[in-house]
Amino acid sequence: MATPGRHVGHYIQRNSRFLLNNLDQLWVNRTFGWTSALRQHAAETITESTDTIVIPRKKTWSKEAVLEALAATVSRDPTAYSYQFQDDPYLTPRTAPELRLYTLAQESGRSAAKYFVNSNPKFFTKDFAEPHIPCLMPETVSLRLEEVSEEALKERINLRKVKAAVDMYDQILQAGVSVSMETTHDLLDLICLYCDKDPVEDEGPETEDVEGAEDAKRNKAGARRASNILKSIWRENNNAERLFNLLPERDTQCYSALIRGMVKHGAYTKAFSAYTDMLNNRLTADVHIFNALISAAPEVRDKYNERWDVIIELLNQMSQQKVQPNLLTFNSVLKALRRCGFLAKTQSIHTLNEMKALGIAPSLASFDHILAVFFKGASRQANSDIFQEVMSELAGTSFTCRDPDDTHFFSNAMRICVEIKDLELAYKVQSLLEVGENWRLLRDPYRSYFYGSFFSLLCMMEHVDVVMKWYRQLVPSVYYPNTQGFRDLMQALDTDSRLDLLPVIWKDIRSLGHDNKSDLVEELLNLMARDTHSPEVQESYAACALDVKSVFAGDRGNKSLEWSPSSLSNITSLLLRANKTQQAWEMLQLFKSKNRVPATGLLEEFLSACHSEGSTNRAVALVQLSAAFCLSATPTLAKRTLSEFDLTEEQRAILLDLESAGESLE
Amino acid sequence: MASHTSKAFLSLGRLNIAGLGLNNSASRVTYAAALSTNSPKGDKGFPQRNGRGPVRKPRREPGEPRTEKMPLDQDWTAVYPAAAPFRPSSVPLPVRMGYPVKGGVPPEKKGNLELIKIPNFLHLTPAAIKKHCEALKPFCTEWPSALDSDAKCDELFPIKVESTDFVSAGQSVRNPSARIVHLKVKLSSFNLDKHAQRKMLKLVGERYNKDTDTLTIRADSCPLRQQNQDYAMYLLTVLYHESWKTEAWEDEKTVADMEEYSWEDSPSQKNMLNVLVRMKVAGEGKGEVREQLLGIKEVQEYKDSVTRLKNEGESESTMLQYKEAVKKVLDL
Repeated sequence: MATPGRHVGHYIQRNSRFLLNNLDQLWVNRTFGWTSALRQHAAETITESTDTIVIPRKKTWSKEAVLEALAATVSRDPTAYSYQFQDDPYLTPRTAPELRLYTLAQESGRSAAKYFVNSNPKFFTKDFAEPHIPCLMPETVSLRLEEVSEEALKERINLRKVKAAVDMYDQILQAGVSVSMETTHDLLDLICLYCDKDPVEDEGPETEDVEGAEDAKRNKAGARRASNILKSIWRENNNAERLFNLLPERDTQCYSALIRGMVKHGAYTKAFSAYTDMLNNRLTADVHIFNALISAAPEVRDKYNERWDVIIELLNQMSQQKVQPNLLTFNSVLKALRRCGFLAKTQSIHTLNEMKALGIAPSLASFDHILAVFFKGASRQANSDIFQEVMSELAGTSFTCRDPDDTHFFSNAMRICVEIKDLELAYKVQSLLEVGENWRLLRDPYRSYFYGSFFSLLCMMEHVDVVMKWYRQLVPSVYYPNTQGFRDLMQALDTDSRLDLLPVIWKDIRSLGHDNKSDLVEELLNLMARDTHSPEVQESYAACALDVKSVFAGDRGNKSLEWSPSSLSNITSLLLRANKTQQAWEMLQLFKSKNRVPATGLLEEFLSACHSEGSTNRAVALVQLSAAFCLSATPTLAKRTLSEFDLTEEQRAILLDLESAGESLE
Repeated sequence: MASHTSKAFLSLGRLNIAGLGLNNSASRVTYAAALSTNSPKGDKGFPQRNGRGPVRKPRREPGEPRTEKMPLDQDWTAVYPAAAPFRPSSVPLPVRMGYPVKGGVPPEKKGNLELIKIPNFLHLTPAAIKKHCEALKPFCTEWPSALDSDAKCDELFPIKVESTDFVSAGQSVRNPSARIVHLKVKLSSFNLDKHAQRKMLKLVGERYNKDTDTLTIRADSCPLRQQNQDYAMYLLTVLYHESWKTEAWEDEKTVADMEEYSWEDSPSQKNMLNVLVRMKVAGEGKGEVREQLLGIKEVQEYKDSVTRLKNEGESESTMLQYKEAVKKVLDL
């Protein structure tokens, strides 16, 4: 892929010819001094056609409209990796860990560059880009104003420096100057949002844009990481409360900041008491307060009815105070309903109806909550029509993120599909993901969970041709399957008896880096060695077996696999079936060196192969080998050899010896 | 030490080059020799595995190119959606390019710089162009149905303005050459009498193409295209009006300023009349008036042939006509 550093210019010339209307004066009194027959002819036809020509009005469009129209003609290339990587077989990430590593490396490079640009703005003053690109210019990250003033306070608020802002505020108050209400609101918002701690500087790149803007409503840093949420506990009498109590007059916005901060950081009961405080001061709450309180309702009560009663109470108060509910209100109701047990099913439907009555379009988060409500617990089968309805309502629509919980919809929907084993719904969910901008709403940046479960469902329920079609489309351009995925795939191949595709799968396993997983390799070998197939298939199996052997031998330098008796036997039998006796013989030597015991059937097979080849020495050596292993089958082998082969005297002697020795052992 | 000696050699070499002309090559040889003996000894390959340090990771093998996985009926417009350099692992064609190896064929596409250097149009296959056209149709308005022939377009819209847009990948999307505007118009569509025509041609000079009868005005002095367009239209208007005006000093037009040759009052007329008068005088002895001579048909023919010769230049037919006319006039 062309990196921005390459200076390859493409010049496309587009000549635009456009026709102007003639000026009226030119048509007066045409004299025929200059001979031109064409002109004379033209003069006659003009008059009849001038009145009928209608020049349509020129259309206007936005600056990017043409580009967007052309971009809409491009579909996805199923063999290509993500566009961020260099499109070269050496440089593309082939395994899932590599994908993570490369994306994280790119992100870290980007943030390092941003750090340098921001910390040395004096080197980046010249603006080369035309038209101006604001995000490439250095941003101010360090404080410039040092004196005690409101501007300095505003600057600290803008730069999200919580502690410095609080200090500045205290200094201002000590100096006796009063701070404007707006700035106070901003300061309170800041403190409550970050729970009185400075925001974490380095956001984990997993939460950062890996594929562009994932969440349009992703506001502040660190809000998504579970660890941060656990750490941020609302302490007693922290700065927010202190400042709040210091305020001479407190209005709705101050209360709003406080209550929302309390709910966000876990002080639920305090939030409710602050709310009652507010009501006592005869202030009306706003919609954000109600949203926060509704989502906090399940935390302050234990029984389902009580929780629901609290929510109803809040909603009533909301209508009393004439506050209009918005989408987030209903979504918080639905989310709280998830924890209200048996009440949930009926009430959630009512809530949906209310939403529609108010004309608020439900977002993906609402549907996510509804699905969670209906598909919780054991009774799943009966409810798939809810799911059907939901999917038919959502089909073909492109969504934007209107609620932070929207991003959970797709993963949960696919999980439910897998649990109820409904393939059609899974297809519908997957096609919904491909509509328009919906891919942004998939929270998982590597898409492994969603497509992993989708693929396993396919393997379970679909015909192998369809499975292979999807496999080629999805792997590895969309997601990298793990061992479970490959197990499922092999299972599907086995069910539909398409085991001839196994060598292809092995190549993929190898390139995806799963060849160090012993159970996967064992299963593959078992499947290959289980039955006899047609000669070409056996040939391909033998080649595959040799490949597997090289992996076991560990000539790639990574941690190699340990030989197990079954894997050795399988490989040997595969080689035998394809008549590669020499290599099979080497395999038997390996048995000895690795101290593994071969299976009886293997030796018998080998003997038959030797018989068909007619190599008696090998047969004798084989029997000696089995004796060395003290196998119980030695006498039978010896007997067979004696009967089937033409042996020399010494060989006969050896064999008789072995036979008797073996019998005596029994 | 070795490096010191090489430096000494180098300085020697440089001094020699400055001084002597013929010995330049010799001093350069020493320069080169000094360098070659002092080339660094370390080899760029993998360090030897002595077992002392940790074992290096084995070299990463390149994966198989994705051309192997491409189905035959794939959508090529998705593989190359935009202009991109040639990627041998993404293009499933067995192309070869370059000077053939001795006794062999041109080198293959893998690692071939020649294929990467040249521009390719893999993103503009006919299928892609069809898709693009379909996508761009909503931006277009309908062509007026009454304008169905070129001739009609030319008469109703005789002025044609041409400008060029440039697209390039770089830091800036602006290109100063995009401001240039060419305005083309056929002079036959103007209402000009003889004087106006001649004056117009003198005013525009080289901008007029006689074969196609088009006047091309190129405007590039303003920084913006709209300004250049306005200026070109203004120029055209001014030219037209100016060519209709007759200034006082135009009476002083001399023969050298004339665009075409006219026989009256020319040396050729004087000479011919002198010759004829002398012929007549020699023949009959009567003095004939010059004007009467002018009226004679042969003299008229001579006048035509000379005019034609001077105006159109020398060619078979004009010379022939001149010869015939001269023969007739001089009764040869």
